[in-house]
Amino acid sequence: MIITKNIKMADVIHTNYFTLSVLNRFGIELGFGDKSVDEICKKNNVDVDFFLEIVNAFVDKDYFPKKHLQTFSVKLITDYLQKTHDYYHKLKVPEIEHLIEEMVDSCYTQKENIVLLKKFFNDYKQELLNHTRREEEIVFPYTLAIEKAYNSVESDNSVIELMETYSIEIFQNEHDNIEEKLLDLRNIIIKYLPQPKNSRLCNKLLYELFNLEQDINDHSRIEEKVLVPKIREMEKIITKKFAEK
Amino acid sequence: MYKATFIIIEKSYLIRKGLISIIEKIPNTQVIQQFDNEDDLKTPANFESDFIIINPNLLNANTLNIIKKIAKNTQVISLSEKSIVLTKELEWTTQIYLDDTQNSILKKLNTLIGNRETKNVKSEVPEEISKREIDILKNIALGYSNKEIADKLFISTHTVVTHRKNITRKLGIKTVPGLTIYAILNKIIDINNTGKSKS
Repeated sequence: MIITKNIKMADVIHTNYFTLSVLNRFGIELGFGDKSVDEICKKNNVDVDFFLEIVNAFVDKDYFPKKHLQTFSVKLITDYLQKTHDYYHKLKVPEIEHLIEEMVDSCYTQKENIVLLKKFFNDYKQELLNHTRREEEIVFPYTLAIEKAYNSVESDNSVIELMETYSIEIFQNEHDNIEEKLLDLRNIIIKYLPQPKNSRLCNKLLYELFNLEQDINDHSRIEEKVLVPKIREMEKIITKKFAEK
Repeated sequence: MYKATFIIIEKSYLIRKGLISIIEKIPNTQVIQQFDNEDDLKTPANFESDFIIINPNLLNANTLNIIKKIAKNTQVISLSEKSIVLTKELEWTTQIYLDDTQNSILKKLNTLIGNRETKNVKSEVPEEISKREIDILKNIALGYSNKEIADKLFISTHTVVTHRKNITRKLGIKTVPGLTIYAILNKIIDINNTGKSKS
C-alpha cells in the first residue's frame, strides 16, 4: 500500500507498526485522533512530501522515490539521516545492550557464551559508531557544500578543489555493509547458541536485532537510492558549470 | 543454505513486478537488485548474483561491457518478445518470452537453478563442514590472515579463500568475529586462547 497525504495518520501505523520509529524521528507524537497525514505533518512542522517519501520507502523496499525526492533539499535528507543515527545510538543500541546484560545476569549454565555475545555486540557498536561518525564528519558536510555550490550563481573554486579530494563516488565505494555482523549474530543465536533457559529474553533479543537490521537497511537504502544519485547529479552540473567558465 | 540470487534489468515496472513474483515462488531465491534503465547500471552497489535477467533492448556498448565482465560468474537470461535477435557477444543461458506461461518460466528457471546448485554444492551432505574446513576455521578464529593460513597449511591462498567461502555458505556466518564465536561455541578453539599464538 502506498501511503498518501489524505490517509489517516493512525492508519499508517495500523498498516505497519515499524513506521512508529520513523514518526519518532520526525518528532511526531501519538494521539492523532482521525487527523490525516497532511494535517499531522503541518501541525508538527514536517514537510509532508518528504515524510511521505521516507515512510513509503520504509514500508516498501521496492519503492523507488528517485524523481520526486530530488526536489528536497540535501539538508532535509541529512537531517533525517542524522536523526536515525541518534536513534541507533541513544535508543536501539542501549536497549539491546540492556537485554544482553539481563541475559548474562539471569544465566547460570552458559554465562561464558553470553559474555561472548556481549563482546561481539560491543565491537559491533563501536563499528556502527565509527560508521555513522564518518558520515557525520565527512559525508554530510561534503553533500551540503555541494548543494550550496549547486545553488549559487557564481562558481567557486574551493568547491572544485573539494571535489578533487572527495566525491560521492568514494563514499559509495567505501560504504561498507554495516548489517553484515548483525546477520551473523542473528544466525549464531538462531542456529548455534545452546539455548539458555530464559528463552523469553533470547526471543526478545532476536526481535530487537531483526528490528535494528531492518532499520539500518532502510537507512542505507535512503543513502544509496536518494542521497548518492542526487549528489552525483549535482557534481556533474557543477563540473560542467565550471568547465564552461 | 544455497540461495539463488537474481538481478533484473527491465524498463517496465509491471513486467519487473510480475517476474519477481514468479521468481519468488521458487524456494531459496531472491531478487537482490532491479534496474529500470541502463544508466543506473554504471554504478551498481552490489553486482554479485547468480543470474541476470535483462531486456536486450537495454543493452548498449556500455552495459554490454559491464555485463560481459561479470558474466564469468553470472548467467545471463534474456527477457523479450519472441521475435528479437540476440547479440552474439553475450552467452545467453536461456530466454524468457513475454508470452511464456508461468509454468514454462518456472520450468526454465528451475532447470538453471538446479544445474547451478549441483555445480556449486556438488550434492554433498548439506551444511556439514569438513575436517579441512574446521582446520581453516580454527586458524581464522585465531586471527590468522589468508596468506598466513596458506603458508601454515601448505596450500595456496586461493584455496584458503575457496574454503572460507564454503564455510560462510554452510554456516551462514560471514565476519571473522562471527566465525570466532562459532569456533568457541563448538570448542574448535579454546576461549582462553583467542589471539595468535606462536606455537
